[in-house]
Amino acid sequence: MTSRLSLPVTMSAMRVDAKVVMLGKESVGKTSLVERYVHHRFLVGPYQNTIGAAFVAKPIQVGEKVITLGIWDTAGSERYEAMSRIYYRGARAAIVCYDLTDSSSFQRARFWVKELQNCEEHCKIYLCGTKSDLIGGDRSLRQIDYHDTQDFADEIGALHFETSSKTGNNVDELFQRVAEDYNSTALQYMTAEETGVDLGQKKDSYFYSCCHNN
Amino acid sequence: MDGEAHKGTVSWEDGTLAPVDHLRSERADSPTPGLVEGTEPGAGQKSAMFVHAQSFEDLTAEAEDEVRREAELDKSGECAEGLKVLVGEKTIEEQHNNDITSESRTKEEDVTGEAWRSHRKHVFVLSEAGKPIYTRYGTEEALSSTTGVMMALVSFVEAEKNIIRSIHADGCKVVFLSKSPLVLVGVSRTCQSDKELLRELQYIYYQIVSLLTLTQLNHIFQHKQNYDLRRLLAGSEYLTDNLLHRLDRDPGLLLSAVTCLPLASSARDMVSSGLQAAKSKNLVFSILLAGDRLVTLVRKKDQFLHHIDLHLVFNLVGSSSSFREGEGWTPICLPKFNTAGFFHAHISYLEPASELCLILVSTDREDFFNMSDCKRRFLERLSKRSAYQALKEALKCPSYSVAQVGIPELRHFLYKSKSSGLYTSPEFPEVYQSDKEQERLMGLYQDLHSSLHHPSRPLRSFYRCSETENLLAWVTSGFELYLCFSPLGTKALAVSAVNKLLKWIRKEEDRLFILSPLTY
Ligand SMILES: Nc1nc2c(ncn2[C@@H]2O[C@H](COP(=O)(O)OP(=O)(O)OP(=O)(O)O)[C@@H](O)[C@H]2O)c(=O)[nH]1
Ligand SMILES: [Mg+2]
Repeated sequence: MTSRLSLPVTMSAMRVDAKVVMLGKESVGKTSLVERYVHHRFLVGPYQNTIGAAFVAKPIQVGEKVITLGIWDTAGSERYEAMSRIYYRGARAAIVCYDLTDSSSFQRARFWVKELQNCEEHCKIYLCGTKSDLIGGDRSLRQIDYHDTQDFADEIGALHFETSSKTGNNVDELFQRVAEDYNSTALQYMTAEETGVDLGQKKDSYFYSCCHNN
Repeated sequence: MDGEAHKGTVSWEDGTLAPVDHLRSERADSPTPGLVEGTEPGAGQKSAMFVHAQSFEDLTAEAEDEVRREAELDKSGECAEGLKVLVGEKTIEEQHNNDITSESRTKEEDVTGEAWRSHRKHVFVLSEAGKPIYTRYGTEEALSSTTGVMMALVSFVEAEKNIIRSIHADGCKVVFLSKSPLVLVGVSRTCQSDKELLRELQYIYYQIVSLLTLTQLNHIFQHKQNYDLRRLLAGSEYLTDNLLHRLDRDPGLLLSAVTCLPLASSARDMVSSGLQAAKSKNLVFSILLAGDRLVTLVRKKDQFLHHIDLHLVFNLVGSSSSFREGEGWTPICLPKFNTAGFFHAHISYLEPASELCLILVSTDREDFFNMSDCKRRFLERLSKRSAYQALKEALKCPSYSVAQVGIPELRHFLYKSKSSGLYTSPEFPEVYQSDKEQERLMGLYQDLHSSLHHPSRPLRSFYRCSETENLLAWVTSGFELYLCFSPLGTKALAVSAVNKLLKWIRKEEDRLFILSPLTY
């Protein structure tokens, strides 16, 4: 838009290729992860719980192509659990987060894995252990064993990352992998069936595919 | 200090005898205090945006009944003991018969010490089974013995077929609000009336309902009486904390009104019509905020927003930086609209660093992308007009100085137009720059407000002198006005200022109020 007024960038209709949902117990660091990936920063200061959910669209280069991820950063509070279906329904990828220094957060991650397995079998799961910088400083803080988690990931057909939003470690890699996996499965679908399975290129079809088939 | 109940020593009378039709058609340039509701400065030209614009009454009607039915507190040792734990005082004075129980046993349950006790106002929320849900200060766990006592008090008096409403004990008031399945308790050292304190507890109640709906609350406690509600409220405590903070500071909550960003009416109308055009099937309210000020509100025909619900939205948006980036989508119950269900709010700032926040309220939880599209259309339209520039310009001076009014010795005022439910107020002058001074001034306004709205002896006007300032409060069927003068001001000056001020507000009303609210 060539307006004399500086208006925000969201002016053009949003086109989203892949819906990605962030899940996990409150304060594990979902928002920080998105913040780091989208805005390349880590906000210090008092922790602010997410209210409901926040949506952000982020284009990402995969080979020759640009793929736009529509990322849903959900609130971890149990209060919103009943609402969670609308966020993961039709998602192509779920980043299930747990805090490497908090074993209870892994229990919650297992809950989300089960939920996804039951309700969204086409959604690819990425297990993400957060705050790796903390255990880098003091190994005794680690409460979730790397190899146990890897075994669990293999068992459920998920990928496994350990990230730090504070240092940025492994964050881009995580989202890059999400986009690449989407791209390659999208290609598979394309060759398998000509039309593809709800790969809504248009906003509307995307919307209906992910939100209107209950 | 003197107050006048329904008879004026001041030169003009309240205007119930004023020629209504005449005033309505004239929309006088020099409005007099004898205006009727609907013709006062700031009154909307069409319909009001809010339900029951003068709904302080609405809000407290229930509470008032409760105050009237005030229970006689049984003077058993059990109760007295309980009170001591709550207020930490040696004597307990029963409110109405002033019967002082002479017991002065030492505090056996000094749970949390002096610092905790010295806070001006405590607020507790409990379940009917006595489980702690919220405390303003300290942790709920540490308070379990205190909450036990509160519940004992509540159930004790309820069993007697009396519902406990308030207890006064030297310098301390304990107010109870039973809102099944919740019980709210306020312990205050301020001089606020029971009615004011109950009003605040109601707000807290609505805040909790807005997160969960009453239906869900009832459902939970029907299934499990001793459910620990903190599980579901986790992470929302700061919303309640902030609301309590606002209750001490925000004139809007006191006046049951909302204030607007001063803006040329042409620009405001353009923004409004932009929102009006960006409609969608399930969209009920479009609200544009600049910080804590309303830029405009467009609503579905026949659907009205209650100012309490709007304040809850303000509190939600203002308390959380989580809407700064991207687009928020959250369920929200607007309890004055409907306590049974959730609306779904699309919340986003027009620009990341901007104060302009757009809230689109839909009935459909699947509506996110439709709302997102409404926002896009609104922005597209706005950018083609000069309104956006005017809006940004207006943000640079979101208030005005009292000097512009040109009334000597006038330091500050609050003016509420009853029929529109909107109020206007200048920025705080030099003398009230510190937080402490601002809160003190708000406290003074609260006192005046309490006097004007006294449940059994309401006043029409009230003049009060002190060493630090002189205050005048005035209420008519059309407006409520609170004026703060320097201590040099006189009563005659204060009284003559009212007319001048009304005239000035009339002249500026286009800019200070939303005179032509729109519907889709
Ligand atoms: N040291 C460190 N702290 C982190 C990291 N990621 C998040 N945090 C901190 O953990 C707290 C919670 O982070 P959020 O990103 O807000 O958590 P969330 O998962 O979005 O929480 P909800 O919105 O309530 O579900 C904040 O205080 C962050 O600063 C990290 O990688 N390293
Ligand atoms: Mg978050």
